[in-house]
Amino acid sequence: MPFRALISPPLAGLAAAQRLSFQRIRGRGLRTTAAALVLSGCSGRQSVLDPAGSDAQALFTLFVSLLVGAAILWVAMNGLFYWFTRRSTGTLPERSGRMLILFGGVIAPTVVIGAVLLWGLSLLPDQRAPGDGLTVSVLGEQWWWRVEYTMEGVEGSVVSANEIRLPTGQRTDLRLTSDGVIHSLWVPALGGKMDMFPGRETRMSLEPVEPGIYRGQCAEFCGASHAWMAFMAVAMMPEDFATWLEAEAQDAAEPQSDAARRGLAVFQAAGCGACHTVRGTPAVGKVGPDLTHVGSRLTIGAGRLGATLDNIER
Amino acid sequence: MTDQGHQTNQDRKEFSDEAGSLWRIALAPSVWAGHFVLCYASVSLACVRGLLPIEATRLSLIAVSVIVLVVFVWQGWRAWRQWAPERGHPSALSEGKAEDRHRFLGHATFLLTLISGIATVYTTLPLLLLEGCR
Ligand SMILES: [Cu+2]
Repeated sequence: MPFRALISPPLAGLAAAQRLSFQRIRGRGLRTTAAALVLSGCSGRQSVLDPAGSDAQALFTLFVSLLVGAAILWVAMNGLFYWFTRRSTGTLPERSGRMLILFGGVIAPTVVIGAVLLWGLSLLPDQRAPGDGLTVSVLGEQWWWRVEYTMEGVEGSVVSANEIRLPTGQRTDLRLTSDGVIHSLWVPALGGKMDMFPGRETRMSLEPVEPGIYRGQCAEFCGASHAWMAFMAVAMMPEDFATWLEAEAQDAAEPQSDAARRGLAVFQAAGCGACHTVRGTPAVGKVGPDLTHVGSRLTIGAGRLGATLDNIER
Repeated sequence: MTDQGHQTNQDRKEFSDEAGSLWRIALAPSVWAGHFVLCYASVSLACVRGLLPIEATRLSLIAVSVIVLVVFVWQGWRAWRQWAPERGHPSALSEGKAEDRHRFLGHATFLLTLISGIATVYTTLPLLLLEGCR
């Protein structure tokens, strides 16, 4: 599908993305190197063990605490088991036995489970806390993501697809819904997941801390291409984000080269506009993803392929 | 006749006492289950159907939880007295006498009330910590 015309890439956007990934590598370099020695394979752009958002950080702390707690309990239980079956095999006085059951079997589990329940529940409101003004509405399609940005106090919205850009250091509201079947939105490096239901709106919010490019994935089986239903979540410094959003709100750039003009002609002649919208052209289809500025996105096909010209020509 | 009649009357009274305490055994778990269903149902009606105001629903459910816990404390205290642990350990209650059965039912009721109370507290925690439907 040769529509190179549309790929008059805002080079600035591409450069910004590269700068971002560089920043991420540099900023996280030391920590990642230290961790890599122990936990190679746990880092990366889609890992809960490499948190880059405040929500993911809170969940990571909870996870590590539960893991350490479970390890301590496991060792203690096996130690007790060893002690009473191999070392101290005599009978226990009835009173001590009853105390052991009362504390080890009733009081300790009640307190531990209660504490973990309290901690887990206390995290939930933060993960859905109201945002600082930016709202990203995501509509799950089979099998891609319709994305719309709205800013509090600003009229209109910016429509995009299969890529969610978020400013760092602020909380962004996500309003989620779906068309047809249930999906679930999850960017492991940034926060928890939230299901997307047809006919209902669910909400969550994300607060990225470190700029970078993270991978999101549909986390609810939604049909044949479920595993391919991914997207890129790009956390940008607030000023970079503002620049990007402003550029994204513009109509598609006029084709500048011969190849680009030819692409526009093919796109129009082949009827692509029946399904796809390209703002600033007669293409206003709503069935498929909005392709305005598609050249500036990091991937195509809902995260399936790198955004290279070869892949777009398929 | 009188002696036998007396015996039968006492049996009857004992039987109705124990039947009552059999009912009481099931009371706490049933109340917990009812409370659980009530919580889920009314929060769903508030958040999914929008038929109830969520904040009022939340506060009413917390009030119901408090009432349930008060009932459990009263019930647990009665069961404790029926069990009378100070009159010997329950492992000695295996002689099959009416007295043993009576105390065993108290013991079981006490433990079930305790666990129902803990479960009710756990069910109530989300009501205390989470506000609204988000
Ligand atoms: Cu999906």
